[in-house]
Amino acid sequence: MALQLLVVDDSPVTRKMVRRAIGLCGLDISEVHEASNGVEALERLAATPVDLVLADVNMPVMNGIEFVKRMAADPALSRIPVVIVATPMSEDRVEEILDSGARAFLTKPFRPESLRDLVLEILGPQGGGHV
Amino acid sequence: MSDPTPEMLTEVLSSVLEEAAFFMIEPEAVPDRFDGDVFSATIDFEAMRGGQLRLTASRNLARNLAANMLGIDPGDPEADEQGRNALGEILNVLGGAFVTRHFGTKTPFQLGLPSVADDHPETRRATCAAAVRVDTGDLVVLELDLEPGR
Repeated sequence: MALQLLVVDDSPVTRKMVRRAIGLCGLDISEVHEASNGVEALERLAATPVDLVLADVNMPVMNGIEFVKRMAADPALSRIPVVIVATPMSEDRVEEILDSGARAFLTKPFRPESLRDLVLEILGPQGGGHV
Repeated sequence: MSDPTPEMLTEVLSSVLEEAAFFMIEPEAVPDRFDGDVFSATIDFEAMRGGQLRLTASRNLARNLAANMLGIDPGDPEADEQGRNALGEILNVLGGAFVTRHFGTKTPFQLGLPSVADDHPETRRATCAAAVRVDTGDLVVLELDLEPGR
């Protein structure tokens, strides 16, 4: 089954970089949606549910941790896994992010294969498409 | 904890530009000033000590940086449009890499949002600085201002 993903990052360059990695990682992706902060992402998810979210932490308006907490508290969204894609962080901060409800933490810069492996681990082979 | 050295800053700058932007790097002496049209990006951090990192590079470097990060031709108009954003994003990655390298991953820290100006930065006395030349021939300078130890 082809996947729909949501990329949440305030940097347009990073959103394009993540899109590029998604395109190169070999997964069967039908559509990649974008949002520039947590508020925009929640609005997008209300209109279009996705299979997985890739989100930054350091964003204006609503940061990634608050966004993950809001998703975890919403029964309609809590089943959607969130992978935090961000710059290196302290162990405490990564723990806080995972405790808030994120499924995984991917450090920038990353290789497309790392993203593929993570998506397969989270969604299972049925989410893997033609790898 | 000792202050960061120019060598450490050079290593962080080189590894990020190599891994995140696919440039080949040669260390250079830090110039007294930057000539020509440049972008100057800054990011604040707060850890055991607070401070600011400032990345300065030519517009041509920013264009090539965007091209490398996005996998497009440097002549593509999008590379020119995204140069400024690419410099901010690479500084964001540099910020995380520097802080975890200097303070360690067990120290809590906060990174601010990168800010990019399209002008020469005001002259300041940095705690330390590093410069590298990338394979396009452009120079990149990273400066660190660190608050006094507490």
